Amino acid sequence: MSRASSRPAELFAGYLDPQRPHASAYDEMFDPVDGVRPAYKRLHDSLSPLRPGDLTTRSEALDRALVDQGITFSLSGEERPFPLDLVPRVITASEWARLERGIVQRVRGLEAFLADIYGDQQIIKDGVLPRRLITSCEHFHRQAAGIVPPNGVRIHVAGIDVVRDEQGDFRVLEDNLRSPSGVSYVMENRRTMARVFPDLFAKHRVRPVGDYAVHLLRSLRAAAPPGATDPNVVVLTPGVFNSAYFEHSLLARQMGVELVEGRDLFARNNVIYLRTTEGEQRVDVIYRRIDDEFLDPVHFEPDSVLGVAGLVNAARAGNVVIANAIGNGVGDDKLVYTYLPEILKYYLGEAPLLPNVDTYRCWLPAEHDEVLDRIDELVTKPVEGSGGYGIVFGPDASPKELQAQRRRIKTNPRGWIAQPVVQLSTVPTKVGERLQPRHVDLRPFAVNDGESVFVLPGGLTRVAIPEGSLIVNSSQGGGSKDTWVLAPRASAAISELSGPGLGGSGVKSEEASTPERGPELNIAQQQQQ
Amino acid sequence: MKWRLRVVHTTGYRYDGPVAQSYNEARLTPRSDDRQNLMVARLETVPATRAYKYTDYWGTEVNAFDLFTPHTELKVVASSVVETAGQPLPPIDATWNEVRSAESVDLYAEYLEFTTYVPKHRELASVARRLRKGHTPQETVLAISKWVHDTLKYQRGTTGVHSSAIDAWQAGEGVCQDYAHLTLAMLRSVGIPSRYVSGYLHTKPNAAVGETVVGESHAWIETWTGEWWGFDPTNDIPIAHRHVWVATGRDYADVSPLKGIYSGGAATAIEVTVDMTRLA
Repeated sequence: MSRASSRPAELFAGYLDPQRPHASAYDEMFDPVDGVRPAYKRLHDSLSPLRPGDLTTRSEALDRALVDQGITFSLSGEERPFPLDLVPRVITASEWARLERGIVQRVRGLEAFLADIYGDQQIIKDGVLPRRLITSCEHFHRQAAGIVPPNGVRIHVAGIDVVRDEQGDFRVLEDNLRSPSGVSYVMENRRTMARVFPDLFAKHRVRPVGDYAVHLLRSLRAAAPPGATDPNVVVLTPGVFNSAYFEHSLLARQMGVELVEGRDLFARNNVIYLRTTEGEQRVDVIYRRIDDEFLDPVHFEPDSVLGVAGLVNAARAGNVVIANAIGNGVGDDKLVYTYLPEILKYYLGEAPLLPNVDTYRCWLPAEHDEVLDRIDELVTKPVEGSGGYGIVFGPDASPKELQAQRRRIKTNPRGWIAQPVVQLSTVPTKVGERLQPRHVDLRPFAVNDGESVFVLPGGLTRVAIPEGSLIVNSSQGGGSKDTWVLAPRASAAISELSGPGLGGSGVKSEEASTPERGPELNIAQQQQQ
Repeated sequence: MKWRLRVVHTTGYRYDGPVAQSYNEARLTPRSDDRQNLMVARLETVPATRAYKYTDYWGTEVNAFDLFTPHTELKVVASSVVETAGQPLPPIDATWNEVRSAESVDLYAEYLEFTTYVPKHRELASVARRLRKGHTPQETVLAISKWVHDTLKYQRGTTGVHSSAIDAWQAGEGVCQDYAHLTLAMLRSVGIPSRYVSGYLHTKPNAAVGETVVGESHAWIETWTGEWWGFDPTNDIPIAHRHVWVATGRDYADVSPLKGIYSGGAATAIEVTVDMTRLA
């Protein structure tokens, strides 16, 4: 089937065409002057002998492997599948070390922030943040005021979205502190790649991602109320119709814990129980993938049947831990995000190790006017929400769309921020029978067990498939890439080939947890209204 | 001079069929401040329950309780003894510039925002602006309260627990909850921070010691014009000995006296009675 006449170099033919859109973006494989960057040297050497037809063959093998693994995605749901691209993204050990430190710092700072906001609000009393910034947050949930988690952790799992600017420096695009989803893609992409390209893994020391569930379970058990000697952890899913059900089920299975729905649980005297065939079983920690608003009809949407009546007060009484905590959304509001430098300085006395993307705050009159003036060159985004909804790229929008956006911003300045069009970095991506530069972002996952913050080496790289597109959300037709964090050359760090299980049956919880039977679960971050 | 009052508030639900489970929160405990001193409070339920107490974001004492024995009626009795005093109009009357300073707007942001119960309305705002002309903030509060008092007719049954300020205004009638919401909508439209107060009203100004009267579960407003003070638009009177306050919030939703989730058929509120006795 292969096209016999293609020359090897043809795979990358025209790759660095100076006429390509956003030509100033940082390409992660090619330096415009020095050629292939060291991190990608071996990958490039492996790829360049391939003929374009080989690419298709490999790509088909990848698709087959995905089907074999039973990874199917709901196409009609909100979250569309992330087709896996066959070229991995490579991050060197030193790049990763910097990124990891920045993420850990951010999670620590945001933990302190949430504890304060749902406690004494000292940062407001000290005049560092305006009160209105907090009280106007859609996800500032007053119901959570006074709830103190036993080990202090509210952000059991964080997804910190980062991009690389024109200089190749990582910057944070947004924080996700509620129920960040996508880690199942990270693990499944790795399994698939390992099956299809064992040769590539043989030439790289790629740090493993398969033990994510071990870290998650450790964090959840560590969060349990003090009385629970052998904490009973469950994963709470909205159900099989949720677009992220696959992830919920995968995580529950890998942790060896029950996957439950709201109707399987009930509260009595502020204790949460699971109904089982053997009777009632006390629950200590709920890793929930249900939005706050649906968690407890006593305190939120009274009509919701997804949650558990009495859950909020059970958590308040300290008898159960909700992970992630209720009200974390106040920490990932995109206007609050612009105050991260102040927040880190106030709580940690540190400057941010990872800068934000430059952001205009429409609620400040001066910046509001500038945004309206320059709306045709800026990206305007709602402060709340995910999936790319509501975002307008000034340069691509029609005058009519821009006018509509101006009106929206004028009506609700608090609801909008604006950013310069960020030139997301590019990575070679299979387009047709060639490799073309396509823009990517990265969502690393951080897990906080109260002692330390673990950042899974890798993360979900999302790639925008249409040429020149900067919108990587799956809902906007994006794909994904396996993300390789290389082990330091001189280290004994485990690499993907050093242990069993490559391409095997996925992660088992190797630690001495108490595996029970676990059904399935999934991940969802989008709002469910 | 102070009054000492005993309040016995009986409320609850009657259900169509037996209810096996119910989860409830009561916000029925009077609080203490400069004007009011809570001496003792107790909450009882039939069937009996064990309440879990906590203080919510607004500072209100909440009694949360759940029920697992099948029941067709839930009765909640909140009893308390409080000392109350009158509250003269505050001597401080801030200027409009002070009320609208960046500092006040930030500090009282929650009491300036519109809500489902207290919506923004163009026509109401223009009435409020007219009433404001030539007045200080404090005078404006009194003028708006009086306008609401004169505009609405006190009438039960027209509005319900979910009615907004606009619903009541358009109907031309309502109960204390509606008077309070309508006043808040107008005060906020002219930038005066204001909040909803839930409490009780003793109905007899010259009650004798020892006399028990039928009181009311009542609502009024508090407003910030240099300091917080209360006013009762339903009766167009200042807050005095006869007012016992329980909770404040942005609107009714923040202070709902009794709310619950239960499994089973439809529920109707049982007759609410408030017995108030002047003890001293």
